[in-house]
Amino acid sequence: MVIIALGFSMAIMISIPSGIVANQQAVERLSEDYSNVLAETEEQIAKATTLIECSLSPGFRPGVRTGSAWGLGPSLSGGEQFLNESAIDEISSIQGVEAVIPFLEKTEGTTRTLQTPRGTFDILVPDYTIVGVPLNSSLIDSYIVLPNDVIEGRNLQEGDSGVVLLSLNNTGYFGAGVGDEVNISGSYFTVIGVYESSDSLQLRKLYMNIYDAQEITNNEGNISRLDIYAEDQSYVDEIVSEISNLYPELYITTYEDRLSQLERTTQIYQSTLQNAETALSQMQTTAFQEVCIAVVATSSIVLVMMLYAVRERTKEIGILKAIGFSNWNVMSQFMLEGVLMSLMAGAVGVVIGSVGAPILSSLLLPSVSLFPTQRTIPGGTVNPGIQIQSVTATLDPQTMLLAFGAAILLGALGSLYPAWRASRTSPMEALKYE
Amino acid sequence: MSEMVLETEKLDKFFKLGGREVRALSDVNLQVKRGEFVSIMGPSGSGKTTLLNMLGCLDKPTHGKVILDGEDVTKVPEKKLYEIRRHKIGFIFQSFNLLPYLSAIENVELPMEGTKKSKDERRKRANELLKMVGLSERGEHRPHRLSAGEQQRVAIARALANNPAIVLADEPTGNLDKKTGYEIVRLLGRLTVDQGATVMMVTHDSQMASETERMLFLSDGKLLAKEKEGILVEKKTKCPYCGRKLAEDSEYCPRCGKKL
Repeated sequence: MVIIALGFSMAIMISIPSGIVANQQAVERLSEDYSNVLAETEEQIAKATTLIECSLSPGFRPGVRTGSAWGLGPSLSGGEQFLNESAIDEISSIQGVEAVIPFLEKTEGTTRTLQTPRGTFDILVPDYTIVGVPLNSSLIDSYIVLPNDVIEGRNLQEGDSGVVLLSLNNTGYFGAGVGDEVNISGSYFTVIGVYESSDSLQLRKLYMNIYDAQEITNNEGNISRLDIYAEDQSYVDEIVSEISNLYPELYITTYEDRLSQLERTTQIYQSTLQNAETALSQMQTTAFQEVCIAVVATSSIVLVMMLYAVRERTKEIGILKAIGFSNWNVMSQFMLEGVLMSLMAGAVGVVIGSVGAPILSSLLLPSVSLFPTQRTIPGGTVNPGIQIQSVTATLDPQTMLLAFGAAILLGALGSLYPAWRASRTSPMEALKYE
Repeated sequence: MSEMVLETEKLDKFFKLGGREVRALSDVNLQVKRGEFVSIMGPSGSGKTTLLNMLGCLDKPTHGKVILDGEDVTKVPEKKLYEIRRHKIGFIFQSFNLLPYLSAIENVELPMEGTKKSKDERRKRANELLKMVGLSERGEHRPHRLSAGEQQRVAIARALANNPAIVLADEPTGNLDKKTGYEIVRLLGRLTVDQGATVMMVTHDSQMASETERMLFLSDGKLLAKEKEGILVEKKTKCPYCGRKLAEDSEYCPRCGKKL
């Protein structure tokens, strides 16, 4: 029982630092991910100085654009809106427009009704998002229309119809790979290729010919958004003004907008990281206090146990001293016993810790929020586009070694006074003890 | 080597008891020769155990000297007394006081821990001693599996482990039946003859005391002038060649090895 109690105390001691390390690593990973995403986004934005995005829904995300929306976030709210494709010709005729690329996006999933104090909402839990793209080689070769990281099969090309490019995530959902047939909105398509994306918004997107998409979603003649490329950056303002006049319902995003959005997103990331770091520092303070309590508790248990042992074995101490054991011999024997007891407890602690470290550390440490504190900013929804990895405390060999070191130290510390007391026992008095 | 192994000079021991001074020992002068088996007799409270504690370096006298093997142990600092207890004194207790979690042989080896003897040497010596007390087959047994007499034999072997100058036995037959008690006292007597050990035994049993060589009497902390010879004297003879005391049935002298 005592060994288990000591072991539990040891487990707490070793689980807390493991939890700290795990959280530190998670914050470091997050910081790294943020930096990568921001750098990549900045690079992408810099490449598309002449791009004007138009859509019927507000929204912006500074993620990596791979032939899909800068704008439309995950279609968690139903009611996607569409624009007639006659807009393509009209916008193409505006002076300074180099290319107009239409997209049709439609998210398929299950609608669920959510009741909140503010009212009842229908929420679409998405299964996949169909992205119809114009398979015109003059467009797909010159502009960003399709994902560029195809890992299996091939990408879509001009003339393709009845075929689909799945994301890696889609292959899991459909249980299909290259060459297989998949049922999309009631029609069968052959999987031509699979692409991989680290962007969370890309995870569920599958690409096909825009005509196929219009047909299967009953949206003939409709599009959901447009990417417009100006011949030169100097035309952008003029084009935006013209489009606004023609289609006041459209939300327009330009290079300047994207830059300022990026700046705001950077601020949010920084504030998230700062909050995480503050929480981590608070966690470290709490952890230090808890470890101190565990150390005191462990030493106290050893102290009480060894004092009890010295009392119970008073006669034995008398015998040992009578037959010639020195004070040091007696003291070292009790110290050794204390250390051995702690080592056994250390082993029990490592066993408990290796199984229970994640639970113990999550119970004992305040949590560090790894999500942005502000999810919505004026002008759109911010999605960091980062996969948050779960924080799990695990025991590494170094921590285990440290646990045994701590066991030896605490065993020695806790048994120091009892052992000293044993060594000072008068043999004559001890021999009388029954 | 001096013939006298233990001497006390004007040994006094006072205790404070409820603000009153109690004289436990008063002006005790005694001498014990090497190879002698001496018993100290006296009623309960006469100061027998107090005297044994003084002689065994477990307690310090208020006044006087205890000269053990030529050294006044009352002047030895407290921290060094363990060396005297380890090398010059062997203890035998009434309740045997073996460590229950050690086997018989490990109990015998115990006083040799911390000496310069190697593990093998310690084991060899312990085996010899167990053989000497007639327990060579019982070495691996724990104390609870041994009879009371056997436990006391193990305690005797333990007391002799470091070949001490004197063995002090405090009522060694107190927890034994009469027959076993006699066996133990005779074994101690045989050790003084065969091994040249010096034994001082404290007892209140006159029959046991009579089995020794010399009986001393303690009363109210004072050693009485009268002394009595025990049976052992008659059993002992001396080697005609070297003067070594011998058992009556000895064929060879254990010291010079000559045939008698």
